[in-house]
Amino acid sequence: MKREKIAPAPRETAVILVAFAVLWFAPAFIGEYGLQLGFRTLIYLTLAEGWNLMAGSAGLVSLGTSCFVGLGAYVAYGLLNGLDLPLPATLVACALSGAALAALVSPALFRLRGLYFTVGTLALAELLRLIMVNLSAFGGATGIFLKNDPPALPILFRYALAVAVIAALTVTLCVRTRASVILRSVRDDEDAAAQMGVRPFRVKLAAFMLASALAAMAGAVQAVKLGAIEPYGMFGLQWSIDVLTMVIIGGVGARLGPLVGALFVIALGEALADYPEAHIAIAGVILIVLIRFAPRGIVGLAAASGHTVRRRTLA
Amino acid sequence: MPDLGVASSSIVSGVLLGGMLALAALGLSIVLGVMRLVNLAHGDFLLVGAYAGFFFFTFTGVDPLLGLPVIALFVAALAIPVYRYLLQPLAERGAEAQMMTMFAIAIILENVFVLAFSADTRSIGVSYAALPLTLGPVTVPLVYVIGFAISLVAILAVHWLVARTAFGRDLRASAADAEAAATIGVDVNRVRMLTFALGVACAGIGGTLIGTAFQFSPSSGGAYLLNSLAIVVLGGLGNVLGTLFGGLALGALQSVGGLALGDGYRDLVGMALFLLVLAFRPEGFARGRR
Repeated sequence: MKREKIAPAPRETAVILVAFAVLWFAPAFIGEYGLQLGFRTLIYLTLAEGWNLMAGSAGLVSLGTSCFVGLGAYVAYGLLNGLDLPLPATLVACALSGAALAALVSPALFRLRGLYFTVGTLALAELLRLIMVNLSAFGGATGIFLKNDPPALPILFRYALAVAVIAALTVTLCVRTRASVILRSVRDDEDAAAQMGVRPFRVKLAAFMLASALAAMAGAVQAVKLGAIEPYGMFGLQWSIDVLTMVIIGGVGARLGPLVGALFVIALGEALADYPEAHIAIAGVILIVLIRFAPRGIVGLAAASGHTVRRRTLA
Repeated sequence: MPDLGVASSSIVSGVLLGGMLALAALGLSIVLGVMRLVNLAHGDFLLVGAYAGFFFFTFTGVDPLLGLPVIALFVAALAIPVYRYLLQPLAERGAEAQMMTMFAIAIILENVFVLAFSADTRSIGVSYAALPLTLGPVTVPLVYVIGFAISLVAILAVHWLVARTAFGRDLRASAADAEAAATIGVDVNRVRMLTFALGVACAGIGGTLIGTAFQFSPSSGGAYLLNSLAIVVLGGLGNVLGTLFGGLALGALQSVGGLALGDGYRDLVGMALFLLVLAFRPEGFARGRR
């Protein structure tokens, strides 16, 4: 049995809040390019935190991130265009809609364990995309425009930051408190957990709903930044691919996995910005190599090498 | 509402397409049964078959349907190293690692197709591609009928292989209980490798047939994967004839959906069916899995 070091929740919360405070003032110091990259990293981080909560803690590997990103985007446009709701209230509504959709489809997706959840989320994402492409009520294949001009980039950056911090705090709350034991018991042996009085369905549902709410908020902020959305982009499989790639590269189940993975994938994307196809193919190769040789990702590798160094210095 | 001739022709076309897809779905099903692996790259292996047929025809000028044995062997030969070097080392690590590896292969293949063959939509332009076949009010392209017939023969051949041969006996034993099969002397690893190659070859043959009858592009793989999965759940895992009927049913329902709601809804029918079957009748999919 490997001992897992659990940093106390208050300390981790403090670290997240300090990072939040520092980054809040970042727009004054980093330029346009830095803000663009930072915005993208924060959106990816939010998605990856949620995905990691599902996969790392509850054993749910999803290929349906895009369906919640797209849902958030379309709900946000509906509320902003139709009801003139302020953006913060819109984001709350998007989170609720994401959680609601997750709850709605969970009977079908959780009926079967493991692999079928993955395949089911993939089918769900494709189904929603096809519906949006075909239904003219939601703009069809051409999509819809945001009625008012989107806020300036520094303000959007702060929205993305706020959403990412909410994601980070949510995950801290889930994995650094007693809830983590329940989550892991379901991941490791659902039947044994059920014997101990844990209700696996509820635990998995909670993780799925939280992750979906976070993805919907991230999708909403991304959509507002774009100023116009269409189903191929907002419901594109690329969201799901990117998120999965980030967390596997960073380290599934590792607290820092999403952050490390998001930074890595963004850096790789920037390095290969002129070769989009090669970029994705290379990400695929990295995935295969890491799954085979470093199943705990970069964070796992770093921890292992840190361990070796410490042992050597002690010896 | 379209008239009777158009409607019946469309439904018959759908059934014929469903029969071709059933072959690909059968490949997915036997891999799922024996290896407990949802091959997320199945749709892209189907496209490998379609591109192989396309270039076989372009360079040799020989009808790709005559070249099917060569194409099947080619696609199967690609599958063997994938199994040997990428999947087999992960065998002890649970199904997820293998599935994620196949997902990575899917995104690699899709982007390699774009890089190597461009993102263009193609079809294999055999000389009889446009010839119609008319029977009463029903008019369907001749290639659909030929593709359907070849698919049917291939499905029956796989059925014979699984039900009547020594390899099929080992395959069924490995699917039912790999440990027990190993105990009585079945080389489970070899069976899995050959099953994977067979499953992928089914996708490859299906791909050439579909590429002859329809258009395809590097990004078509995902839709073929999901439609194949829908067929597998409709027909029940491990049931060869069920898979065939699942394919015919899906094809017919897609045509009905397309006629009633518009052509854009064809693929939507497959996804919706898949999720509905998963919600209400999952046992066909999960047989023997605990």
